[in-house]
Amino acid sequence: MIFVAVGTQFPFNRLIEYMDAWAAEHGQEVIAQISDGDYIPKNMKWERFLDGEQYNQNIAEASVFVSHAGMGNIISAREQQTPIIVMNRQFKLGEHRNDHQADGLKWMDKLDGVYAASTQEELNQQLSNIKASNFSEMVCSSTTVGNQNLSNYIADLINE
Amino acid sequence: MSSNSPVNTNNKKPKVLAIASPGGHWIQLNKICNPLDDRFEMVYVTPGAQYATSAKDSRRILTISDASADSKHKLIPLAFQLLSIFIKERPSAIISTGAAPGAIAFLLAKFLPIKTIWVDSIANVSQISRSGRMVQKHADKVITQWEPLSDNKRVVFKGSIL
Repeated sequence: MIFVAVGTQFPFNRLIEYMDAWAAEHGQEVIAQISDGDYIPKNMKWERFLDGEQYNQNIAEASVFVSHAGMGNIISAREQQTPIIVMNRQFKLGEHRNDHQADGLKWMDKLDGVYAASTQEELNQQLSNIKASNFSEMVCSSTTVGNQNLSNYIADLINE
Repeated sequence: MSSNSPVNTNNKKPKVLAIASPGGHWIQLNKICNPLDDRFEMVYVTPGAQYATSAKDSRRILTISDASADSKHKLIPLAFQLLSIFIKERPSAIISTGAAPGAIAFLLAKFLPIKTIWVDSIANVSQISRSGRMVQKHADKVITQWEPLSDNKRVVFKGSIL
C-alpha cells in the first residue's frame, strides 16, 4: 500500500492528482489524506483527515509514504522506517504562504530514506526507483546526539 | 497531586509549559521535550484537539483554540486562554517551536516572570520563521536548528532534532 498525505493546513490538489494518475496506471492500492482539497480521487481510497492513530498506522503499513514537504511527516516516516517521497508546495500556485518547502527540499533529499520530487516526472521517477528493502536496513535511532544536545541545553537554560 | 504532599514541596521540579501548533511543530516539540519529561514538570499546550490527554498518554496536554497569522481575529480569545493557563499553572518557563499560538504566549509572558525559550522549526532553513521573527526581540532565548542562521548572540545553534 502507498499512503499519500498532504497535512491539515492547506489542500494540495496537484499532488493528489498526480498520485491519482499514478494509481490509475499502476493499479496498486493507494490511500490518500486530501485535507480540504476539491480534487476528488477516482483511483485511490481517500479521507479528508485521519485521527493520529490511524495516520501513524498507515505510515507504518505503507511500503512508500508520499507527502507534501512537511517536517512532521518526514519525522514520522523516519520513526516508522518507511521511505518517504516529498513534494514541495509552491507559493506561486497558492499552495502555501511562502516557499519554505522548496528551500527545504534541498536538504531533505540528503536524509536517509527521504526522496525529493518537485515535478510530476520526478515523482513518478522516485516511485519507480524506491526499493523499500534497502531502506529497512537503515538504522534510525529515535533520539539523535543533536537532539540530546539541544534538549540538554534547554534544560540548563531553564535551571539557570 | 504532588502539590498536596508535604514531602515534595522542597524539591519540586520547575514547571515548564511546552506549546506548539499541530503537525510538524508539535512533533518537533515532542522530540525536544521527551528528554525533559523526568527533569521538569511538563505541561503541554496545543490547539490540536487530537492530541488531548488520553488513556494511553499519561502526560498533561491542555487544548487551546487555534489561530494563525491568517486569522487575526482569533488571536484575542487565544490570548485570554493562554493568560488563564499562566495564572493557573504558574510555569517557570515556556518552550515553543511555533507557530502563532506560541508567539502569542511569548508576547504575554514578557510581562510575567516566565522564562521564554523559542526553538525555531527545522523547516525554516533559509531564514527564521515568521513567528520566530515576531518573538525574537522578546524571547529570553531563540534557538535555530540550522547553524548558518545562528549569530551566536540573539540566535543560537545547539543541535537539531534530526
